[in-house]
Parts: sequence; C-alpha cells; structure tokens
Amino acid sequence: MTDTLAQPRPKNAAPWEKLGSRVRFASWITSLVPAAIFVAAWLGLQLDFMAALLTIFLPIQLAFGAWAGFYSYGRKGVNDGLLMVVTFFFSTFVLVLLASVIWSVISEGAAALSPHFIYQNNRYITGTTGLEIGGAGHAILGSVIITGITTVITVPLAIATAVYLTETRDGARGVVRTLLQALAGLPSVVAGLFIYSMLIVSGWSSQVGVMASLSLIPLMLPTISRVAEESLRLVPSELRNGALALGAPSYKAFFMVTLPAAKSGIVTAVLLGVARIIGETAPLILTAVIANETNANPLAGGMATLPTYIYNFLYLGDATSLQRAWGAALVLLIFVGILFVGARVASATRVGSKPKRRKK
Amino acid sequence: MSNLNHLETKDINVWFGERHVLRDVSLQFQNNHVTALIGPSGCGKSTFIRTLNRMHELIPSAGLSGQVLLNGEDIYAQAVDPVNVRINIGMVFQKPNPFPTMTIRENILSGLKLSGRKIEDGDGLVETSLQRASMWNEVKDRLSEPALSLSGGQQQRLCIARSLAMDPNVLLMDEPCSALDPGSTRRIEETILELKENMTIVIVTHNMQQAQRVADSTAFFLSENGNPGEVVEFDTTENVFMRPKDDRTNEYVNGRFG
Ligand SMILES: Nc1ncnc2c1ncn2[C@@H]1O[C@H](COP(=O)(O)OP(=O)(O)OP(=O)(O)O)[C@@H](O)[C@H]1O
Ligand SMILES: [Mg+2]
Repeated sequence: MTDTLAQPRPKNAAPWEKLGSRVRFASWITSLVPAAIFVAAWLGLQLDFMAALLTIFLPIQLAFGAWAGFYSYGRKGVNDGLLMVVTFFFSTFVLVLLASVIWSVISEGAAALSPHFIYQNNRYITGTTGLEIGGAGHAILGSVIITGITTVITVPLAIATAVYLTETRDGARGVVRTLLQALAGLPSVVAGLFIYSMLIVSGWSSQVGVMASLSLIPLMLPTISRVAEESLRLVPSELRNGALALGAPSYKAFFMVTLPAAKSGIVTAVLLGVARIIGETAPLILTAVIANETNANPLAGGMATLPTYIYNFLYLGDATSLQRAWGAALVLLIFVGILFVGARVASATRVGSKPKRRKK
Repeated sequence: MSNLNHLETKDINVWFGERHVLRDVSLQFQNNHVTALIGPSGCGKSTFIRTLNRMHELIPSAGLSGQVLLNGEDIYAQAVDPVNVRINIGMVFQKPNPFPTMTIRENILSGLKLSGRKIEDGDGLVETSLQRASMWNEVKDRLSEPALSLSGGQQQRLCIARSLAMDPNVLLMDEPCSALDPGSTRRIEETILELKENMTIVIVTHNMQQAQRVADSTAFFLSENGNPGEVVEFDTTENVFMRPKDDRTNEYVNGRFG
C-alpha cells in the first residue's frame, strides 16, 4: 500500500546477548578448567568414571561456578553460579542416561531389524533359530489392536471423568478424585489378575485380545483423566464465562471454547496414557497369553504383543533370542516415537488455517 | 413511544455465602439510555451488573433475592431459561476475553454458533459488527488471523463487536476501558453513544469523566464500614455530578474519598 519505512533486521539485534568481557572470561574458565582437571585425574589416577565424576568433577565444578558468579556479578552472583552448575550437571546427566538407553536399543536392535522382522510371525521359531526367518509382525499387530481398543474405550471415559471433576460442582468429586489417585497406584499385575480371575478363570471368556484391553483400562484411565483435568483447569474462567454470556448452553461452551483451549493438554494426556500401557507385560501374559501366531481377531485366540514378545525371548536367553528381544524393543521405541510426533503435529494449534478473505 | 428494551430491578439483594453484599437495589434502565454505575472498589458494582444477565448464579456461593424485569417480565422467573436471557442481554467484561482458538471472524460469529442460531449472512454480519465497534478498517484485511494477534484495545473492541453480533436489547459493560489507552477509550465511548440509539446500555466505570461523557443517568453505589453495598444516589448524570443531593456522592464525584 504505502511506502514502507521498515528495515531488515540487523545481524546483532539482540543486545542482551552481548556479555561483558568479565562474564565471558569467567564462563570460559568455568566450563573448561574443571573438565580438564577431571579428565586428567580420571585418566592419570585410573579412577572409576562415575566415582570420579561425583567426587572430583562435581565439587570442583561447583566451586568454579560459585567463583564465576562472584567474579562476574559480585556476591549476588554466587547463588546463580551454583544453581547453574547444579541444573546443568543433573540435566546433562539425565540426558546422557536417556541417550544411552536409546542408543543401546538402537545399536543392539538394529541387527535384528529387517523387512521380514516387521511382518513375519513367530511360528516354528525356537530360541536358536537364525534371524533370517521369523519376526514380530504378529506382536506389532497385537500391540496395535490391544492398545487401540483400550484407547478407544478409555479416552472418552477419562475425559468425561476430567470434565466431571472440573466443570461440575457435584459433592462426590472429592471421592472420585481420591479413587482415581488410588487407581493410579494400582500395580498392573493386579489389574491383570482381576480380569484373569473374574472373567477368565470363571469361564466367561478365554484368553483373548479384548480381555487384555480390558485389563489395561484401569491403568490408562487415571493417567489420562488426571492430566486432562489439569489442562482443563488451566483454561481461564473468563473464556467460559465469555461463552456463557453469549447465550451458550454449558455443553456448547465446553465443546466450542473450553475443550479447544485445552486441546494440546488433552492430546498430551492421551499420549501419556498410551505410553503408560504400551509397555505393560504382566497383565497381557495373564489375559492374552504369549502367542506365536498372527491373530487379528481380538475376540478369539491368544494374541501376542511387543512387550510379551520381548519377555518371551529374554526368557529363552539364547544369543539370537536376545537379538530378537532388542529388535522388538527398537520397534516399540519407533512406534512410540511416531505416535508422539504424529499427535504433536495433529494437536498444534492452528488458528485460522482456512483463510477466507473478503473482496473489497 | 417504544419501551422495548426497558430493564428494571426491584429490591435486589445479593449474598455470597452468608455475607450480604448488596442491599435493596432498585434501578430503572431506560431504552436508548446509557446508565453509569460508579462507586468505590468493592461496593458491588460488578456483582450487581452480573445479576442483570444471570451471570451471577454461576458463582457457587451466590445468593439473590428480588426481581430483574426486562420489559416487565422477571428474568429470574422459574420458566425463564438463563440462556435466552443472556442472548438478549449481552455483556462485555473488564478483561478482554476473545476466544484464543478462533480467528477474528470466528470470534464475531461465535455467539450465533454458541447459542445455536443460524448464520445467514456471515460476511455481512462480521462487517457490520466490526463497523459498529469502529474497528472494521483496522482489521478488515486480517479477519482470518487469530484473535490474540490483536492489541489489548483491539481485543476489547472485538469482544464488543462479538456481543453486538448477537444484536442484544441490552448491553452490559463492566469497566470496558480500564485496560485501554485514551485512543481506544475514546473510540469505545463513541461506539457506546452510537449504540444507544438501538439499545439500553449499562456501564460500570471508575472514570468520572467517562461517566459524564457517555451516561444519561448515573447510580452511585457505596458500601460503608463492611455493610452491604447500596445505591446512595440515582439521578441524571448532570444532577449526580453537578447537584448531588447526598454529601457522600458529592465527596466521591469530586474525588475526595473512595
Ligand atoms: N465470587 C465471590 N465470592 C465471594 N465474595 C465475592 C465474590 N465476588 C465478589 N465478592 C465480594 O462482593 C463484594 C462486591 O464485589 P464486586 O466485585 O461486585 O465489587 P466492585 O464494586 O465491582 O469493585 P471494583 O470496582 O473493584 O471492581 C466485595 O466485597 C467482594 O469481596
Ligand atoms: Mg468490579
């Protein structure tokens, strides 16, 4: 329209990131010197890595952190320096642990991974059968079916519970919340035993996929409803009141305003719920047995899942069995990864994604 | 003479739990009239204005007695659905509250959707509503942007436009300008003066000049020494500010207490 006075952003348009020379000097010293001393001591004195890390590196690093804070900002900088070291140290520690778990799954599991590992089943496979045949296809299928059924049943229940807890003023909310907390502490094997003794031993049903799904419901429900409750509670009451003041019945205010505002929190809740049950082993062994055949029918016959597949081969313990177990673990990891990324993309708030411009 | 949007309260008393916070408030709000509610903080202005469209009852501990008559009919009568009351009596809150998951356009149309009415000419309604809130020119090219991309003052005018899209008979505004700059404030005041041609407007304000600029009548609320809030004086704005009958009104409007 009009001539613009706007200028392109210069490269160094963040003056707050320019540190003073004292700060820069202190941070270099503090990040390099303790690490150097630690490496020297560790290699020179042939110490155990973990022991050296905690007894040599951490104290020295803390001292240097405190000094750097003092040197840069005076007395008030000391606590900042210490806190910085502590947070960096422990978050790096946890990150490294996590990375090494993921790395060992990837490096150990990669050997077993092959196209036929994804679709073949475990028929005619013994502990010592070579990796060129057999796979976890039946377990992948079983995991998808069992987790899927549980999710489809539990998500509406859990969200309804969360809505009950946040949107109503009913007197029984306290009891429900307490029960939910108790349920969250339920050991999974107990949930499995419950279904096993009530529905299977009694002869009402045999060991089938649906029974496994049922036994996972009490594990998934509290996880989802507690996180969903939290995210619904975070929606400002002004929004809800704004909707009601426009003449919305409560249910519409909820579905059109409150729920969309809490959407990403609720997606997180569902993800955490899926993550909670996808690795469950004990209830599945009781309710769906460790099957070797491919079975897509949750109403008849046993059904394998990735965790029971892993359990089975760990139990057998031969070299190839362990490789199969690692491979299945890697598949499980990839599975969860895809799920998380997919859900994040799906839940990203895109306001006004369908532009509808008016002609003037 | 049309007396279509006549709102009146009779002996409204309000409690929160056991605490009595408003006593015997009887006011008349006439059609094509702007009525200002003034008074020191905590005297019950917000509480009162929320009783006028049944938003009050959403607070768990709320209690109420008395009547609110819209064109002679009690909105608290048993057969009346609060949803219909709120459709007829719109409300603008102190803090702008556009729906964050919706675009500007969707916000304007949200009232119709939320109350389950058909949207016939969406584009036209968006344009007229935004024009009545005097912000059409500012936002006409960004209707599909998220509502939160607007400035605070624009968000407040968007909320006004959102209420206007419902074509209410009465518009309640609780300190609509308290978070706004003088420019936005002036535009909202102009909007109010235009709107009163077609509706009844009740506005809570802490700004004495604003009350004098926009209001035809003014009610002065006061709650002394922990007593429930009461209307000390209710008259034309000119009388309340120039010839107050009560000393306490005089002191308050001249900025000597409160
Ligand atoms: N939700 C509530 N629960 C209990 N008491 C409340 C509630 N809301 C308001 N009150 C009380 O009612 C009285 C009137 O409050 P109100 O918000 O109506 O005042 P106000 O005149 O709008 O004040 P301000 O000018 O500061 O907005 C106050 O004493 C307040 O503490
Ligand atoms: Mg108020």
